[in-house]
Amino acid sequence: MKLDTSGFETSMPMIGFGSSSDMLDGFSSVPSFDLPRTTDFDGFQKEAVQMVKPAKGTTTLAFIFKEGVMVAADSRASMGGYISSQSVKKIIEINPYMLGTMAGGAADCQFWHRNLGIKCRLHELANKRRISVSGASKLLANMLYSYRGMGLSVGTMIAGWDETGPGLYYVDNEGGRLKGDRFSVGSGSPYAYGVLDSGYKYDMTVEEASELARRSIYHATFRDGASGGVASVYHVGPKGWKKLSGDDVGELHYHYYPVAPATAEQVMEEAAAE
Amino acid sequence: MGNDVLIDRSTNIVVIQIFEYNGSAVVAMVGKNCFAIASDRRLGVQLQTIATDFQRISKIHDHLFIGLSGLATDVQTLYQRLVFRHKLYQLREERNMKPETFASLVSAVLYEKRFGPYLCQPVIAGLGEDNKPFICTMDSIGAKELAKDFVVSGTASESLYGACEAMYKPDMEAEELFETISQALLSSVDRDCLSGWGGHVYVVTPNEVKERILKGRMD
Repeated sequence: MKLDTSGFETSMPMIGFGSSSDMLDGFSSVPSFDLPRTTDFDGFQKEAVQMVKPAKGTTTLAFIFKEGVMVAADSRASMGGYISSQSVKKIIEINPYMLGTMAGGAADCQFWHRNLGIKCRLHELANKRRISVSGASKLLANMLYSYRGMGLSVGTMIAGWDETGPGLYYVDNEGGRLKGDRFSVGSGSPYAYGVLDSGYKYDMTVEEASELARRSIYHATFRDGASGGVASVYHVGPKGWKKLSGDDVGELHYHYYPVAPATAEQVMEEAAAE
Repeated sequence: MGNDVLIDRSTNIVVIQIFEYNGSAVVAMVGKNCFAIASDRRLGVQLQTIATDFQRISKIHDHLFIGLSGLATDVQTLYQRLVFRHKLYQLREERNMKPETFASLVSAVLYEKRFGPYLCQPVIAGLGEDNKPFICTMDSIGAKELAKDFVVSGTASESLYGACEAMYKPDMEAEELFETISQALLSSVDRDCLSGWGGHVYVVTPNEVKERILKGRMD
């Protein structure tokens, strides 16, 4: 396809090649545009596509250890590239002995966790005893399964302590429900898994486990653009859950990696005598 | 902005925003016989952070700096091309290029690739005749935008416009200009997932260039 460049023609003679070259400053040869050789001239630049499932922009994690369940999350909410909030509560208190984490759509997670809390309370009233973590997670999973395909976005972990001891389940908007010892959900989860898996031992004290959880969230906020804000850490024990800490990750970075004062970069030198 | 992300429902693929692939924030401000140019330091691949020491602002000569935002590979290539053209100019004319001339050069280099552009947005800042500060920005195909106060570019540009508009005062001296541009940059990138992880500021007066690294939030 040749463009009409008659408007550019000058009285100067043409040098061998048509396209402008940097060496000649673009002045000496007849100017013309490099045209891409493609069938879809107007749309080829839009065709940079990628098979990527939109990831849930967050980092949450939970793990079972000797003293119960440790649950941690960041606090950033992002809309595409824009940070809409740095102070979102992503650990939802379903009832005094059960916690849920939020990943995916904030409204979806908040609503369905509250709905789950209602169902758990009704179960307690009807059966005169607390619902198990297994039962609560099943209620949520079945509810989400019935809305499958309608665009809900929920990636949550239900952590609690019941008669059988500590319980941890992962439930998502596809209706999937998994029992496990260690989970991390969200776009920052690969980074959190790296730190969590290498530092995990079943026999940890509460302090060691909370430090591991805090570090995992910190490392995920460093590498992942969609995670940040405050790293909250909760512990679920036999008497219920307790919030252990909420540290700003901006400050955590300089706490873990303090900046050494720079030494003088230039040394004054005597001018060489002629 | 995230709201423009298209999801092609027939094939269920997400069209990536090419200007938001690496993430960037660049701002330049004019002071009294001085200017400041600042950028963030993050290099990422969409949400993943790869490096926290990426150089986005480069020196053309002592009184002329260019900051490039957008696709990182084009940032590096375009910078190398422009330095090459400026060096040829220096050999021929035996002097440095004026900022206004350089801006026209960048505009021409970008328009040469009109139908397959360099995916970056330059911010040019320099001291011209009589040490009068000059700043301008361009889109990816070379449309110049001159300004008397500040120019911004990058994924955080909307936040930067707001912060600069609120904090800018005319005729600031070098130290006050440094404070203002640093605060504007840090508060804007703290609202952007794709830029930040520190800051890099150059404050240029007729006699000296001060380069400083900012300690920012690393999340």
